[in-house]
Amino acid sequence: MANIATQRIQREFSEVTKSDESQKNLISIELVNNSLSDLRGYISGPPDTPYEGGIFHLDIKIPETYPFNPPKVRFLTKIWHPNISSVTGAICLDILKDQWAAAMTIRTVLLSLQALLSGAEPDDPQDAVVAKQYKDSYEMFKLTAKHWTSVYAMTGFDKWRYPDFDYKIQRLMEIMKVDEDRARVALSSNNWDLEKATQSLLS
Amino acid sequence: MDSDDDFVASEDDSGNESNTGEDEDGLNVALIDSEPTGSSHVDGNDRMEIEEEFPYEILTTEQIVQHMIDCIKEVNTVVQLPPTITRILLNHFKWDKEKLYERYYDGDRKMLFSEAHIIDPSETTSQKEIKKYLHNGMENCVICCRDLPTSMLTSLACGHRFCRDCWVNYLTTKIMEEGMGNKISCAAHGCDILVDDQTVMTLITEPKVKLKYQHLITNSFVECNRLLRWCPKPECSHAVKVQYVDFQPIKCDCGTVFCFLCGENWHQPVKCDLLKKWRKKCDDDSETSNWIAANTKECPRCNVTIEKDGGCNHMVCKNQNCKTDFCWVCLGPWEPHGSSWYSCNRYDEDEAKAARDAQEKSRAALQRYLFYCNRYMNHMQSLKFENKLYASIKEKMEEMQQHNMSWIEVQFLKKAVDVLCQCRQTLMYTYVFAYYLLKTNQSIIFEDNQRDLESATEKLSEYLERDITQDNIVDIKQRVQDKYRYCESRRRVLLQHVQEGYDKDLWEYTVKLDKV
Repeated sequence: MANIATQRIQREFSEVTKSDESQKNLISIELVNNSLSDLRGYISGPPDTPYEGGIFHLDIKIPETYPFNPPKVRFLTKIWHPNISSVTGAICLDILKDQWAAAMTIRTVLLSLQALLSGAEPDDPQDAVVAKQYKDSYEMFKLTAKHWTSVYAMTGFDKWRYPDFDYKIQRLMEIMKVDEDRARVALSSNNWDLEKATQSLLS
Repeated sequence: MDSDDDFVASEDDSGNESNTGEDEDGLNVALIDSEPTGSSHVDGNDRMEIEEEFPYEILTTEQIVQHMIDCIKEVNTVVQLPPTITRILLNHFKWDKEKLYERYYDGDRKMLFSEAHIIDPSETTSQKEIKKYLHNGMENCVICCRDLPTSMLTSLACGHRFCRDCWVNYLTTKIMEEGMGNKISCAAHGCDILVDDQTVMTLITEPKVKLKYQHLITNSFVECNRLLRWCPKPECSHAVKVQYVDFQPIKCDCGTVFCFLCGENWHQPVKCDLLKKWRKKCDDDSETSNWIAANTKECPRCNVTIEKDGGCNHMVCKNQNCKTDFCWVCLGPWEPHGSSWYSCNRYDEDEAKAARDAQEKSRAALQRYLFYCNRYMNHMQSLKFENKLYASIKEKMEEMQQHNMSWIEVQFLKKAVDVLCQCRQTLMYTYVFAYYLLKTNQSIIFEDNQRDLESATEKLSEYLERDITQDNIVDIKQRVQDKYRYCESRRRVLLQHVQEGYDKDLWEYTVKLDKV
């Protein structure tokens, strides 16, 4: 890694660790395999959103040309959000693309992502299915997102459950002989309509 | 660059070095390397016949740069700004001087500068913010996080200071990786102030990057300027400069003849918009539609295209919303056929007829397209072969010269091939034109002209492919000359007629055109 990138990442590391947000456990980062080019980021779901209570893991890759090119960031934790792919975790956010500025840092990226969780941009979607649901039936979107958060981003016993969803997932798994994740995606993408979800898995 | 050493700013420097007029002609130093050479044309010689003279100039890369500098200088005598600021402003107005003057003097000056993403050099307020990082003559660069002597840091007029290394890295990334030239903004987040040429040329030392930057700036100058266009030939670096925009052929110094309006090969008589539609249609359709025509039928109810891949003639449309049952043979409903479809005698039944009518209509449209497309392609193909003809003609000419003919006497052959190529090219595009033409009296005349030219062209082509021997040479020469003169005149007549139609607005089209 280029000298300047190494220096920057070291500085940024301490910046995040010392920051207010980190003290409050809102964001944090750590190294993967002791390499400065491969980081793991964590952000907590913002309050009053379907993501509240969840901890979301991020894969952060620092390019050779950092900070003149943006870091490559994607969600490792599965998440139901219009601007984040429910399949790959790819993120659609301007500052990670053409709006990246060399003076931005990992900290600002993490904070921006947290802001993205609070305010989605359904008109500029990464995941078209989620975006459609967000616009057409917002309540359904909220429930689904909350369900995903509880399943994928929470640990412990205080998980929020929605028995109807759990039941439908079990049913679909039995009918179609698919694993839980696939059943969940199929149902989420079809507004939890069991019949339509079955159809979508058939075609 | 002789100003490299001057660049490292002294401690109390204001931070907008780039604007403090260290040389008024900074742009010249920056962007021009060599004296211009080149040629200018006044069109109308052997190229087209029907237009009046259309003056244009072919410019080399150096001349383009010179032209750009001249434009900037001219504007500068009026507005009196640093040249690099003027360039950004001009670029903002797509190199329309008048618009710049208008906005500069009549409008809101502040707004103008903010729209163009530059800081007004007459304003000095923004320079004060700079010193905030300053302590003990050391300053922190927020990109690389190093504490450096203040003199190592610099900024644009917006006052966001970064160290020189970071600037160089930043600019290099933008130029080399993202191909950005005149749209590079300050490295600070959310700051949209544009980086000026002076700053780039002073900071960047690597020749490769400099060259690319110059290239990008020149390119955007040509692309933005409505009176300029690059020669479309990939390896050619010339551009053409015209005095007014018009549908006209340009002959570049590299030999390419192209349309000034769209940059395609010169395509008279058809105009750019129709040609564009045609190209798109060809790209979308040709192969696919050939196959569709040969292998499919449309569902009589929902018109979805169906390929029959089994023997049974009882068809059930797979379209989920349609699912209609029908007979592949007569396209009528299946029900009355029962189990004895093979005695299908319902050909004239009303329903089947209606179905056929509808289908025939869409087939006919396709047939029509294929008719024109085939002829268009055919001429294009022939045109490619004529290159071979040039080679064989050259041989023939040498041979004839050994048979007591002078050089000048055999030149008619080359001329004949030239004419042949021109005619083929014109014919090719007449089919595009004809495809979109509605039938009127004028279009019938056009088709007659087209027929005449086509048959004459084919004859000429035939003559040229014949063996020329000692005995028939005089005879053939006479015939070839007669024929190519005839072709030339027929071609002129056809083009004139089309032009007349344009002038008098006689042509009616099968498609709606956006008025240009």
